[in-house]
Amino acid sequence: MLTSAVSRSDKSTTKIMSIPHGERLRIHLMNQVAVLMACTMFGVLVVIYSSFRGGVFSLYELNTDAATTVPLLLAAAGQTIVLLRGGIDLSIGGVISLTTVLAATRFPGNDWSMACWIVAVVAIGGLAGAANGLLISLLRLQPFLVTLATWSMLAGTALIILPTDGGHIPDGWTTAGNLTAVGLSTPVWILILLGLFWCWFSRTRLGLAIRATGSAEKSAFLSGVSLPMIDISTYCLSGVFAALSGLFLVTQTATGSPTVGNDYILPTVAAAVIGGVSLFGGRGSLFGTILGAAILTVIGNLVFALQISSFWQPVASGVVLLIAVLGSSLAERSANREGI
Amino acid sequence: MTLIHAQSVTKRFGGVYALHGADFSAEAKEVHALLGENGAGKSTFIQILTGALRPDSGNLLLKAQPYSPRNPLEAQAAGVSAVFQELSLIPDLSIAQNIWFCREPRSIWRTISTRTLGRMTEELFFRYQFPTLRPDRLIRSLSLGERQIVEVAKALSRNPDALILDEATSAMPRRETEWLLGLVERLARSGKLVIFISHRLAEVRAIVDRITVFRNGATVATYESRSVSDDQIISDMLGRRLDRLYPHRHIAKRGPIALAIRGLSCDRRLTDVHLTVHAGEIMGISGLQGHGQRELFLSLFGATKSEGEIELWGKKVHIASPYRALRGTNPVALVPEDRRGQGLLLARSIGENLTLAVMRHFARFGFLNTRREEKLCTDISRVLNVKYHGFDQAVGTLSGGNQQKVVFGKMLLTKAKILLLYDPTRGVDVGTKGEIFQLMRKLASDGYAILFYSSDLSEISNVADRVAVLQRGRVVAVLSGEDVVEPVILRWAMSGIDNAN
Repeated sequence: MLTSAVSRSDKSTTKIMSIPHGERLRIHLMNQVAVLMACTMFGVLVVIYSSFRGGVFSLYELNTDAATTVPLLLAAAGQTIVLLRGGIDLSIGGVISLTTVLAATRFPGNDWSMACWIVAVVAIGGLAGAANGLLISLLRLQPFLVTLATWSMLAGTALIILPTDGGHIPDGWTTAGNLTAVGLSTPVWILILLGLFWCWFSRTRLGLAIRATGSAEKSAFLSGVSLPMIDISTYCLSGVFAALSGLFLVTQTATGSPTVGNDYILPTVAAAVIGGVSLFGGRGSLFGTILGAAILTVIGNLVFALQISSFWQPVASGVVLLIAVLGSSLAERSANREGI
Repeated sequence: MTLIHAQSVTKRFGGVYALHGADFSAEAKEVHALLGENGAGKSTFIQILTGALRPDSGNLLLKAQPYSPRNPLEAQAAGVSAVFQELSLIPDLSIAQNIWFCREPRSIWRTISTRTLGRMTEELFFRYQFPTLRPDRLIRSLSLGERQIVEVAKALSRNPDALILDEATSAMPRRETEWLLGLVERLARSGKLVIFISHRLAEVRAIVDRITVFRNGATVATYESRSVSDDQIISDMLGRRLDRLYPHRHIAKRGPIALAIRGLSCDRRLTDVHLTVHAGEIMGISGLQGHGQRELFLSLFGATKSEGEIELWGKKVHIASPYRALRGTNPVALVPEDRRGQGLLLARSIGENLTLAVMRHFARFGFLNTRREEKLCTDISRVLNVKYHGFDQAVGTLSGGNQQKVVFGKMLLTKAKILLLYDPTRGVDVGTKGEIFQLMRKLASDGYAILFYSSDLSEISNVADRVAVLQRGRVVAVLSGEDVVEPVILRWAMSGIDNAN
């Protein structure tokens, strides 16, 4: 028995090398169906858009579009991490609103004390997220309901501080959001930093463990993952990203709004799903979400360029979302067939 | 050297003793089998050894030191690793990521290198002579057998002193099983202790040095494998002599043709299959693993798309979905491969599980008639001899054998007369296996037509009336009478394959 095992495994070692490359590529592509579909949709939309408007492939267009996309994208980055964990975070709406309100009412003109306030605002977002994670993991509550409750609390707090849109954002901060370096504006640089962040984060133990826990919670637990630790860091990151989103948003609007965050909650989920992130956890990446957010922006631009009612924008977004969901379900099925 | 020593270990769940004075002693450099019926306390004992449970009382020594792991990680750090029946792998991570999960080496940027993990995995595979598996494949793309191989790799990657294999071969095809048994021998020779739990007695006998038998939570005996008979082991396990595992194969009158398959094909894995099954017979389906058995069963149940003609009781039908299979005029029922994932809702009660597929029989004006439901469940559970506290008990709390009986009950309630049994005895103890075979024989003589696949060839050869052998999705032989014996089946299953390679 021993000798037969040896000879067999020798044969199999050589086999590792002889797996046809095409087959490997095909399986890999199958796993990426959702992202490939998002790429195709993005390409098609850009081509249509460029046929209606000139100068689409210019640096200027990139800079303006990035400014429109980045508030959504920052919030969607946090949402992506939560979705990979298999949860959902509605409270980002409250965090964004609260952040803009604090910025509009509390930010002083002095640069140094403003820096302190920025750190404080990000910390508030992180703490709100950590509280979500704590409630979800220790009390074993549903993420949907917990974050629904904290959303309501945060949004209410924002209304108490500033009942209507208004306030003032110090010029120092609005300028910071609209700088240009090497031809690229601040939002483009944020985009690049976000990409670098994901390259790093998805390769860390925490990044892998979050995805693993979203894929199979019990197995991850048995392998030594601390579930409370994962949940707290996941939702904390989401809160931090929501706060960053709010901080960038005020550089564009130059005003505080106690309700603006509500418009971001479901679009963050949509951006992630269009980019191939699974609502069941474990599958997807931030690059997909970036693509998803970009698609949503191009749809907005297209509706504007066509000079039709802006109410067509959510209709078109819905259609794209449906196509994306269909794509990921096809990917799911093919993955399961590969499993046989 | 005594590696693990346990003395009068006790563990209670509520008022029930799962372990009541269990003793166990095993040495380095040996393969030690732990045998017992389901519910004998094996799993509980293993869970205590691996830190998943803590004992109520008793002494545990590891290398002569007191040993009381509080969780699986502490047990692994102390040198005890286990491969569980319940797989602990993460489907969306790759093989390499799973094996080194939470223990990955990191760069100065605290990142994990895929290439390093892949190399470590290939080294591990090479060192223990694992079968071919690419480290970057996702777990979700692997078969059950391959997943078990990865589980073994994961356990070995911690370089344990004691390796516990709990039913590790239950989903493995023959070739991989042989490999694993070879590996176990090599590990023992290299100084490790391997504790081996399996329901396949023959497999155990071939490789183990000593055997410990548990019954009702206590140790019955430990003996040298060489100096004990199979009968002795079985009677110690059961506390009585097992009459006969396999029922007599009386030549029942073959009824009309219940199931006729003509030119059935399915997604390259099943090609032009022709087969007829009569009422009153058990048709065994055999072949090496992955040669179309699963697709045949799933096609007949409408769970996968297929082409070709299917006739039930002489009437041509198109089985488009399991719903159609169960609710057609001639229903067909399936006992699926993975009862936890596909056959049962573990968190739901026995009653709910039994009646899920046939709810409409109990419903009036859309409401369930619970009294009728309960009566039928009582009847069926008595027939099947399910051991339970009450119908509101969650199925997940039953032992493996009893869970499988609930699956059978669910199937019988559908009134289907054509039964597809896909590996119905996987992970089921000897006693229940016998009961299941008796039941199958009784059903056949009541006029049922049964299609039966088992990963254990001796079950096919002892239970089936005829055997269809599949090879690369084709039926290469239909054996009957004296040809239904292991060597003939195996020869047909492997015919042509060696030449092709």
